[in-house]
Amino acid sequence: MREAAPRDPTAATLAAGGAVRLTRTRGGSFGKLRTEEWQAFGFVLPLVALELLLVVVPLGLSFYYSLYRVDYFELTQFRGFGNYWRILSSPMVQASLVATVIFSVGALVLTLTLGMALALHLERDSRWNVATRAAALVPYVISMLVGSLLLRWIFSRDSGVLAMVFGPFGLGELSVLADPNTAMAALIFNAVWRDNAFAMILLLAGLKSIPPQLYAAARVDGAGAFYRFRRITLPLMRLPILIAVVRLLIHFVNVLTFALILTGGGPNQATQTVGLAMYRLGFIDFRMGEANAMAFLVFLFNLVLIGCNLLLFRERRRVA
Amino acid sequence: MSRPDLRSRPWRRRIALRRVVNALINLTIMVFAFGPILWGLSTSLKPSADILAYPPTLIPERPTLEHYELLFRTGIERPILNSAIVSAGSVLACLVLGSLAAYALARLRFRSKGTLMFCIVALMSIPLPSLLVPTFMFLANIGLNNSLTGLTLLYTAYQLPIAVWVLYSYIATIPVELEHAALIDGYSRLATLRKVVLPLCGPGLVAAGLFVLTFAWNDFVVAVAMTSSEDVRTLPVAIYGYLGFYGRDWGPLTAAAIVSTIPVIIVFVLFQRFFLSGMTSGGVKS
Repeated sequence: MREAAPRDPTAATLAAGGAVRLTRTRGGSFGKLRTEEWQAFGFVLPLVALELLLVVVPLGLSFYYSLYRVDYFELTQFRGFGNYWRILSSPMVQASLVATVIFSVGALVLTLTLGMALALHLERDSRWNVATRAAALVPYVISMLVGSLLLRWIFSRDSGVLAMVFGPFGLGELSVLADPNTAMAALIFNAVWRDNAFAMILLLAGLKSIPPQLYAAARVDGAGAFYRFRRITLPLMRLPILIAVVRLLIHFVNVLTFALILTGGGPNQATQTVGLAMYRLGFIDFRMGEANAMAFLVFLFNLVLIGCNLLLFRERRRVA
Repeated sequence: MSRPDLRSRPWRRRIALRRVVNALINLTIMVFAFGPILWGLSTSLKPSADILAYPPTLIPERPTLEHYELLFRTGIERPILNSAIVSAGSVLACLVLGSLAAYALARLRFRSKGTLMFCIVALMSIPLPSLLVPTFMFLANIGLNNSLTGLTLLYTAYQLPIAVWVLYSYIATIPVELEHAALIDGYSRLATLRKVVLPLCGPGLVAAGLFVLTFAWNDFVVAVAMTSSEDVRTLPVAIYGYLGFYGRDWGPLTAAAIVSTIPVIIVFVLFQRFFLSGMTSGGVKS
């Protein structure tokens, strides 16, 4: 007897790497639930139930709530897509979109560049390099809140750190967090400081899978360091780089802790990113209907990125 | 004889120079990463009068623990305890529920397993901020907002996919034959998992547990959105409160930051190879 239902092709390829092949039921047993299958359902039940209840249901509800005017958790008036219209025409939200684009692009480019430089520099597994990698990862493992708080102290005028650094250049009176442009630069710095080692780890795994013979051969042919990087490293690192790009973008587009703690979204909303605007609508202004509409829109955008992530994930498993 | 003589003076000098440059770069990386933390530590040890002194000094001239004393006098123990409870609870829940699901995925045959794996990977990449607003309303409707139980459940739900993934990858590397022996001896599946598989899963359990632990201990956005009253504040939410309360008084603020950071750094130093193995296996949100 052949397998009854054609399986989801994406799932099939995703599964192709592991023991999952065994899901194909053999012989004539299809259609009858075996004890093993019942047991398996029991084993995964808590996982499925918890994710449905606390992730899938809230996401569904956010669409439902977004169609209403909400006053203190009471759905008072049906607005249809009125909340979406309010959101998209609100100057605060539009400004937050601009801020998010500037922040995400800036942080992504710098994080990736620095991460790549670190990965190249620390590629060899010497003891000193391993220690440096671990040290570089510390800003990533400590709390985001604490990291941003410490940077806020450094960037504040009271600490005198920046005055000491920039004083000799005649910029002693510089107040970084009070000017829209430098505040955005500080926000991007915060992201780069925290996440560059995360990019490094993702890229390092890719670097190590490049066979060293390729470099040796290129060297024999007289290729210089830059040429080797351009013609061997970059093409072979396509997948790890794309994975890092997508995962960093998902993070940067949504993150709100950096902006909330470091700049508070200011000055004059110049650093208020989408994540922070959403938080503000929901938890400070208590405009839950609009906040849910915004959350749903942001989630739709994330869905695109998550889709890319899944495709890359599948491709990597096929390669590996 | 066209090979360069490696012992000749210019060559030795070039190699030595390269070593020095490499070491300097490594040192710069460390300073870049640690600088803000060390500066915070230094500030937290200075008396208030010295904190605003210009030019600033890295080494406190008159070191004092007064800011830490102030924090513990004004009850920072409660948020620390809350954070510990929530972290321990979510680690335990994630490991128990995670190893059940991971075992089923690695060893049992059942329909729609591929779909389930696909969903787990998708769940790992959902960013939390887009969930905050609807989750808050949902929790408020079922009466779980503003409670440590609710927070623990949320952390478990958010980290369970990663825990399952790490454990699944680990169980897949353990030879199946041992389990067959146990099953033939009449062990149930559950007993096999508990008595044969889990004892061999040490490193996998540690890696999964570490991710959940650091996430729960560090999390700020979920906790600040879901809790409002004083007695269920976790440590990061308390620190955020201090930011409003102490304002420009950076002594207690940096002291609180250091109190929250030290346990993380200790755990990270002790277990860093588990972190790295887990990070490259594909899970882990940034």
